Amino acid sequence: MSASGPNPPGTPQVKALNCPGCGAALTLRSFSQAVTVVCDHCHSILDAQDPRLTILQKFKADVDEYPPLIPLGTRGTIRGAAYEVVGFQRRTIHVDGIPYSWHEYVLFNPYKGFRYLTEYNGHWNDTSILRSLPTVNNDVSPATVTYLGGNYKLFQTAKAGTSFVLGEFPWQVRVGEDSDVSDYVSPPRVISSERTGKEITWSMGEYIAGRDIWKAFSLQGNPPEPVGVYENQPSPLSADTTALWLAFVGFLVALVVMFIAFESSARKEQVIQGFYSFNTNVRGEASFVTDVFQLKGHTSDLELTTTSDVSNNWIYLNYALINQDTGQAYDFGREVSYYYGYDSDGSWTEGGPTDSVAIPSVPPGSYYLRVEPESNFGHGTISYSISAKRDVPQASFFGLALLALLVPAGLITWRSMNFEHLRWAESDYAPADSNDDDTDNPDKPISLGNIFGKGSDS
Amino acid sequence: MIRNLYVLYGIIVLGTLAMAEYRGWSLSSVDEVKNVPRSVRDNPGSYRSVYGYYHHYTGGK
Repeated sequence: MSASGPNPPGTPQVKALNCPGCGAALTLRSFSQAVTVVCDHCHSILDAQDPRLTILQKFKADVDEYPPLIPLGTRGTIRGAAYEVVGFQRRTIHVDGIPYSWHEYVLFNPYKGFRYLTEYNGHWNDTSILRSLPTVNNDVSPATVTYLGGNYKLFQTAKAGTSFVLGEFPWQVRVGEDSDVSDYVSPPRVISSERTGKEITWSMGEYIAGRDIWKAFSLQGNPPEPVGVYENQPSPLSADTTALWLAFVGFLVALVVMFIAFESSARKEQVIQGFYSFNTNVRGEASFVTDVFQLKGHTSDLELTTTSDVSNNWIYLNYALINQDTGQAYDFGREVSYYYGYDSDGSWTEGGPTDSVAIPSVPPGSYYLRVEPESNFGHGTISYSISAKRDVPQASFFGLALLALLVPAGLITWRSMNFEHLRWAESDYAPADSNDDDTDNPDKPISLGNIFGKGSDS
Repeated sequence: MIRNLYVLYGIIVLGTLAMAEYRGWSLSSVDEVKNVPRSVRDNPGSYRSVYGYYHHYTGGK
């Protein structure tokens, strides 16, 4: 869409007439296409097909009736064609006695005919009358319609009345006239049926951002901010959700391949293994050092495992992995404790005989371990073993990576689902767990914003 | 747009994972001490770990 120039090709000529009710000048922009025209001074609905402009109805407009957001006579370009706003009406439904209204703008192009813009609470639809009938399937709940391969779910059905009209209409418009309307949605589109008597009009609307309309009609200021989630408002995330999970599956495969690659290529070289005992009955210096061992290859981790025969006891080992050549030391402490027993709850255990730790990013070189055991005094001799392996893949990182990949995908999916939840909470066919507790809120988004009076093309 | 950002994010995650595995990163914490004297090898008692002599849990219900 874009703003039209001052004299675009095909610009309709204006025909000047006078209202037979009050004598005020009337502007007829759509020529013989108009079926009714409304005098905006005395609010008479006139028969535009009759040269004498017979008065069909006179209605009383509210004093505080606010003007259309897009003034009649405004021209703009929609889908490459120049259109002029020729008519405006307000439609109203009542839910639990509360009126909800939306606005419809009639657009005219002498070559393309009529199309419509609807607006409710800042949500806009670009709508046109269907030229062929959709297929209705009432055997499922909610009912669906199929049109040009698209499947649309019934969102809501209500009785809508025309409460205010202005300008020209390609049908016999009447204030106060009711019709049964149903909306079938497949965002960003909605198919609406409108039954008046025996006549049914089908139309299709496509959600459009207010700023695009403002741009198309070169309107001043900003469009009203949308309130809530509208029936056919496209989710800002739904299109991405499937692509996101496809990407996640790709990353999952990559993660598995990486795990296998690291597991199979890791050195896992055992560099030291020793068996020791610690006599807790003897006081004095217990620290000792191991033989020097070589850590080869690139900078990598060293996984150190301590195993002990502690029984209802503990042993704590102060470790220092010391580089013999550089004097660089890695200090850490590990405890092995194992307790068990039996009480009123049955048998229990706590701890275990083995402990493992990965010392991060140890450069290659000649190392030895300084070991200093501690335990309770006077508990006899505790046996333990120390073994260390070089370059052992850490599965915990794969778990963290999986979590890091899962969380954003999950959050975006949740937000998308929440958007759909908010949409369908306003439907007649809301899921059972939808908490539609804002019924009394006059600002709540309603459906049926894409409903027209009888279309001339039906 | 979001998919592209997610793909970029995923590549960074997998790249970081590859780096972590290759360089041997660990979630365990150790204290690095520099210039430990060579005499420790002959006299282990002359070195005291920063982790030594803290109050130990004695376990059990």
